[in-house]
Amino acid sequence: MKPIEQNLPAVSFDNVSIQIGDSTILDSITATVPKGGSTAIVGPNGAGKTSLLMALLGEMPCTGNITIAENENGEPLRIGYVPQRLPFDRGMPITVIEFMSMGRQRMPFCFGVRKKHREYAKDLLKSVKAEELANRHLGALSGGEMQRVLLALALGENPDLLILDEPAAGVDFLGERLFCELLEKLRKEKGFTQLMVSHDLGTVSHHATHVICLNSKLIAEGTPKQTLTYDTLSAVFGHHMGLVCDHILPHSKLEHDHPCCDEEGKES
Amino acid sequence: MSLDLIYEFIGKAFPFECMQMTFMQQAMLGLLLLAPMSALMGVQVVNFRMAFFADAISHSTFAGVGLGLIFAIDPHFTMPAFGLLVGLGIMACQRRSSLSSDTVIGVFFSAVIAFGLAVVSRDKNAARNIQLFLYGDILTISDTDIKAMIGLFIILIAFQIFGYNRMLYIGLNTTLAKAHRVKVAFYQYMYAALLSLVVIFSVWAVGVFLVTAMLIVPAAAARNLSKNAGNMAWWAVTISVSSAIIGLLISAQDWARTATGATVVLVSFVWFIISSIVGYTHHRK
Repeated sequence: MKPIEQNLPAVSFDNVSIQIGDSTILDSITATVPKGGSTAIVGPNGAGKTSLLMALLGEMPCTGNITIAENENGEPLRIGYVPQRLPFDRGMPITVIEFMSMGRQRMPFCFGVRKKHREYAKDLLKSVKAEELANRHLGALSGGEMQRVLLALALGENPDLLILDEPAAGVDFLGERLFCELLEKLRKEKGFTQLMVSHDLGTVSHHATHVICLNSKLIAEGTPKQTLTYDTLSAVFGHHMGLVCDHILPHSKLEHDHPCCDEEGKES
Repeated sequence: MSLDLIYEFIGKAFPFECMQMTFMQQAMLGLLLLAPMSALMGVQVVNFRMAFFADAISHSTFAGVGLGLIFAIDPHFTMPAFGLLVGLGIMACQRRSSLSSDTVIGVFFSAVIAFGLAVVSRDKNAARNIQLFLYGDILTISDTDIKAMIGLFIILIAFQIFGYNRMLYIGLNTTLAKAHRVKVAFYQYMYAALLSLVVIFSVWAVGVFLVTAMLIVPAAAARNLSKNAGNMAWWAVTISVSSAIIGLLISAQDWARTATGATVVLVSFVWFIISSIVGYTHHRK
């Protein structure tokens, strides 16, 4: 077993560009996702945030290099993924327990969900405060309930790197706050690296330890304090952006020791 | 391998006068093999909205027969071979193309029909052969066909045992499944290949017009009756097998004398009506 090199980034984007037809979705993005931290990708609609995640997941062709670090077993970091939405046929007969076990149990569900998988799924649901949903029909879940179930499914993969694409989109303010608090608690307990696309700068300022600001190009990268400044946000969102004030930003969010967060944010 | 023992068993298991004739026993065995296969594949066809894919494969029959005529090869070989090629071709294009899934299938659909018609229009004998595939005839099924079906049955059941749950994952969201280390490409190609073969074998039984019905009607009825993914497969198999048995027996009665394939599909439609009423009543509660 190799020792974990704490200073290596979990993910490195090196000159990553995505072009679709004549449109440049992402232009030469060079950024890192520090190991053990909570990195947020922020930017306006159409900035290429989700495209960057899709490129990382191998779902979108890109140029440049994306390097995923190795875990202690010398394998690429195990990924857990929470999509923005799960567009599926809501009339499809599938229970939450079956949904949670479909990647773990080989024996077809025609013969039932085995006890060990059922117990494992229930434990995961409990960890995201959703144990009461176990026997519910998947199509009957609300937006917030579905997000917690998707988070539980991703956690079931024992991820080293948890990727979330606007996990709280479509959830009300209270639901979003609770979801982010839960995520932070789980990250501290399980020690995974978190990479999240978010629209909500309030959430980012309170829960992220590292921020990548995008608007097709990299605008800034660093701690929330370094990146969520009036100048950067004006460059990303325009001059009417006034949601985040410098004084409300937490000053003690560094929970990893990657060098990029020990220095001033890289402004381009 | 002789199938006589199985035929004898079928004759005893269904003690009706019509079931004592060998061609009826062959038809029953053929249907008992096809019905569970089409039911299980149908569950995924319904859940993943792939009915159009099945339609395109069934219509490749014309081109398959046409190719057989051109190269003087038995259509029983060229049909499954060509169907398999079309199925895998559609899947490869779907996975790589930026076009929507139904557009890709539509393009293949039109191409295989045009090719089939072009060949048939050159040869009047071919036109007569084509009619057989439009309506199907399970009563003319041969021992060789049945042996091929037994082989397909074993492979398909093994695939479903190995991949039923993973196919559910892929059907819900391919990106999610891929991110969580499910071998999406392997399952998609295997599924496309097996579905193509099941469709082609079903064409012999019920004809091009009714193949999609064999796949989707039992699965749709099962969906009305199921609360979870496991039960849906059992219901689909139960409805499909019972419809096949009842349909074959009815079609052989003097008072009916209907086409077997059509009768089987009509019985499964009755199941669908019943399931809809049960589903609606349950939903209202």
